[in-house]
Amino acid sequence: MASGSGTQQIDLNKLPLPQLAQLKQQLDQELTVFHDSIQTLQMAKNKFGESGDVLEKMTPDIKGKPMLVPLTSSMYVPGTIADVENVIIDIGTGYYAKKDIESGKDYFKRRVEFVTEQMEKISMLGAEKSKLREAVNALVEMKVQNELQAKKANSS
Amino acid sequence: MAEEIQKKFQKQLELFQGVQKDIKKAVTQKQQLDSQLNENKAVKEELKLLRKDSEVYKLIGPVLVKQDLEEARQNVSKRMEYISKEIKRTDDHICALENKQEALQENLNKLRNDLGKLKLKA
Repeated sequence: MASGSGTQQIDLNKLPLPQLAQLKQQLDQELTVFHDSIQTLQMAKNKFGESGDVLEKMTPDIKGKPMLVPLTSSMYVPGTIADVENVIIDIGTGYYAKKDIESGKDYFKRRVEFVTEQMEKISMLGAEKSKLREAVNALVEMKVQNELQAKKANSS
Repeated sequence: MAEEIQKKFQKQLELFQGVQKDIKKAVTQKQQLDSQLNENKAVKEELKLLRKDSEVYKLIGPVLVKQDLEEARQNVSKRMEYISKEIKRTDDHICALENKQEALQENLNKLRNDLGKLKLKA
């Protein structure tokens, strides 16, 4: 069972049909995973971007302004904004860090950049796999045609 | 004779399918651990970037509890170590299962051959 990185080194022309079909199925599966990953990353990117945008609205002149604090998604209590210089950011695995507005913006910028980078990496891998899949597809088509022709030649 | 082999084949097949299921489970577990490790890596980087006097909190249940920055850093490192170990363990487990699967596959092939031969004779 040669899977993963070794796949490219096998001469596709020499593989029998069932194995080609299996390879195609595997590639299809991998492509689906890539697609899902990109979607998830896009969602994460949007979230980070949104948080960064909100920080733009955190200006000193909103200090002391009234606001509604959500206790649950449908219940609010009134409050006032006491601290406009700092925000507490979820940095993952249950940890939160207090940052001033500027470093907060910087944090979300970095996150968006990181996620974008990952997305690019995955799309590149995906494009490669996609090409390979097309090649395998063409080969399967060809082999099927050949076999059909051989059968015709035999029966006539 | 054929019936006996048939029975044996059935049994081996069940074992084989069981192992396949186990492998799937182990692989999912590994993926989960991998993503946990990645998240911890990101947190570690972030904690490294924080200034010494930064305030760090940990979410415990519904409340944020203030943490010592140094302690948080150590905690994340420790967790990463643990997860790495866990990943290695899962890897070994997957490897062992794959070996078992291969052996069973061979057994199955042999039994199938035997069955085929018997049928030819009959």
